[in-house]
Amino acid sequence: MDDTILIVGGGPTGLAAAHGVASVGRKAVLVDKADRLGGAPILSGYAKLVPSGEWAKDAIGRMVTRVASHPNVGVHTSTKVTALEGEAGDFRATLSNGETVAAGAVILATGFTHFDAINKPEWGFGSFPDVVTTTQVEQMVGAGKIACPSDGRTPERVAILLCVGSRDRQIGREWCSKICCTVSTNLAMEIKELSPETDVYIYYMDIRTFGLYEDKFYWTSQEEFGTKFVKARIAEVTIAPDGKRLLVKGEDTLVKRPIVIPFDLVVHAIGMDPNEDNPEIARVFGVGLEKHGFLERGEHYTSTFGSTRPGIYVGGSALAPEDIDSCIAHGLAMAMRAVGELQARSAQPA
Amino acid sequence: MPIHEKSLIDPDRLLSAEKLVIDGIDVSGHWNTTILPRTVPDYDPEFQKKIRALPGGENVHRCWQCGSCTNACTMYAINTDFNPRYWIYCTNLGLTSEIVKDKDIIWQCVSCNKCTNICPKDVRPEGVMKALAHWLEEEGHTTRSNPTLFDEEFTRQCLERGRIEDSEVMFNFFKKTGEDAIELMKKGWLGVFIARMNNLPLLREKRILPFIARLPIVGPLKMGWAMLFKPRTRSWGRTGEVLRAYVDEQKRKAQAHG
Ligand SMILES: Cc1cc2nc3c(=O)[nH]c(=O)nc-3n(C[C@H](O)[C@H](O)[C@H](O)COP(=O)(O)OP(=O)(O)OC[C@H]3O[C@@H](n4cnc5c(N)ncnc54)[C@H](O)[C@@H]3O)c2cc1C
Ligand code: SF4
Ligand code: SF4
Ligand code: SF4
Repeated sequence: MDDTILIVGGGPTGLAAAHGVASVGRKAVLVDKADRLGGAPILSGYAKLVPSGEWAKDAIGRMVTRVASHPNVGVHTSTKVTALEGEAGDFRATLSNGETVAAGAVILATGFTHFDAINKPEWGFGSFPDVVTTTQVEQMVGAGKIACPSDGRTPERVAILLCVGSRDRQIGREWCSKICCTVSTNLAMEIKELSPETDVYIYYMDIRTFGLYEDKFYWTSQEEFGTKFVKARIAEVTIAPDGKRLLVKGEDTLVKRPIVIPFDLVVHAIGMDPNEDNPEIARVFGVGLEKHGFLERGEHYTSTFGSTRPGIYVGGSALAPEDIDSCIAHGLAMAMRAVGELQARSAQPA
Repeated sequence: MPIHEKSLIDPDRLLSAEKLVIDGIDVSGHWNTTILPRTVPDYDPEFQKKIRALPGGENVHRCWQCGSCTNACTMYAINTDFNPRYWIYCTNLGLTSEIVKDKDIIWQCVSCNKCTNICPKDVRPEGVMKALAHWLEEEGHTTRSNPTLFDEEFTRQCLERGRIEDSEVMFNFFKKTGEDAIELMKKGWLGVFIARMNNLPLLREKRILPFIARLPIVGPLKMGWAMLFKPRTRSWGRTGEVLRAYVDEQKRKAQAHG
């Protein structure tokens, strides 16, 4: 019986869980395979987060500092868990750095993998330098300049294509990545702020800016920043005869007509894939995967955030595409579950 | 075999040469029919700005294409080519040629404002219809509408003399619209108007003297006199010029705002 809780993954989910555990006086060991904590927003250099508008490095940075400086939390970066033995209340984990951790419960906060846009070759990523992804534009915004990678010119016109790597049976991705609509409407505003003469067009099938993101992002982007919305799923991106601009081809479903429109920069709003490590994670931790390849959850209503194996909890974007606010809530909920379970066990006579 | 689908193709995309001989073979008429592709090759980002600068068009950029306006529209119920949702989309993307194509129906909006009441984004489609009709007129795509011609004549007299002469407004209005005043008197609204001004039942009852006594005589005489001598409001001076300059200035400002 050990009252340490092992947390795998130090993104927003794992950071919230670690702080939750530490704040009630329990010990947490946080393991992340990357060389620093923070997860996708830090590793991929996101600019301003939705909905707070705070820079990712500040907001997530605070979460990292709070955890890393806490005496109850031990951190292992550039580390994976290679084996897990034992059972709920008494796990022994072997780490890739050779250390072992005895833990009463395990929290899996291993997150997602960005969709690799090369898997939709018809949309030009990998073929044309001026076809980029939302993460690249996040980085441009972070650096304070929007430019075409080919020659550094400021784009007059930008097309953002939604649902790249989501909602697509062709490539076996039958889920909505939940946050990319909001992120894209926000990026359109950030582009306009940095370069007022640039016009931004968003190509969509649906706009899913859920909850309060509706007016704050979708409406404001359209009404105050002049973002244009075109209902079309693009068929193909090619290069114009001038060898410079890109031609975006598709059907504008509202005018029932083919379109071939020139753009300077095409942005893929890439989706959230299951973590590419998930098969390995399933094997090492003995937990199940659901049909899309995300980690599977057990019975939810009375065993909230339980995985398919007792004593192991799973939450955040390891479960399904999620936004940061939800991930933080999942992290705290898992901390509550794990601590509660240890509490109950230690109350029982051995 | 007749091509039934031809009716679905815009006439301006159907090309066929009356007389065409290729390699000695006569392919005149529908043998050489070519259908131009309907591809949209570009957007015109300036068009939305122009419409937003016109009265009524201010909110056009808010539209998210839900179709509520078209569904509620009085005119759409009669003619499904009357589609405010579609014209608003074309406005926002700057598909100007699509708007021009429908120049002969856009003005038919009856301003019932059912669209305005139902629109969830407060676009005010009725205003957009007005702005589009206005733009079509200004660009010379449509002839000036009767209300516009009336307004112009009315404004001209106001500015010139500080007052209007009813008969001159009507006279010039008929001159510009080319409408036949005599026909309108016999069959149209002008006849109804005159009948209302005169007490015709008296005539039918053969009470000639009371009828003549009620005839509007002095008024029309005064109007005729005013038409000839065109009096101005006292001390009107340069007021008209100043007003005109002010109106032009306001128009320019409104345009610049887009
Ligand atoms: C372009 C883009 C922009 C976005 N912008 C926003 C935004 O503005 N606001 C918002 O709310 N959300 C945004 N999101 C979503 C946001 O990125 C996620 O909600 C969030 O990162 C999920 O946090 P997480 O901790 O669950 O997973 P992650 O952030 O993926 O963190 C998982 C962590 O686990 C580690 N890990 C993975 N596998 C292993 C393993 N086998 N062993 C050890 N460690 C492992 C990883 O190194 C990583 O540090 C955006 C997403 C995208 C794609
Ligand atoms: S959030 Fe929007 S862009 Fe992302 S997958 Fe869902 S519908 Fe597509
Ligand atoms: S105001 Fe015009 S566009 Fe609106 S519902 Fe009435 S007829 Fe249709
Ligand atoms: S009702 Fe309003 S939002 Fe809907 S299509 Fe018409 S103008 Fe656009």
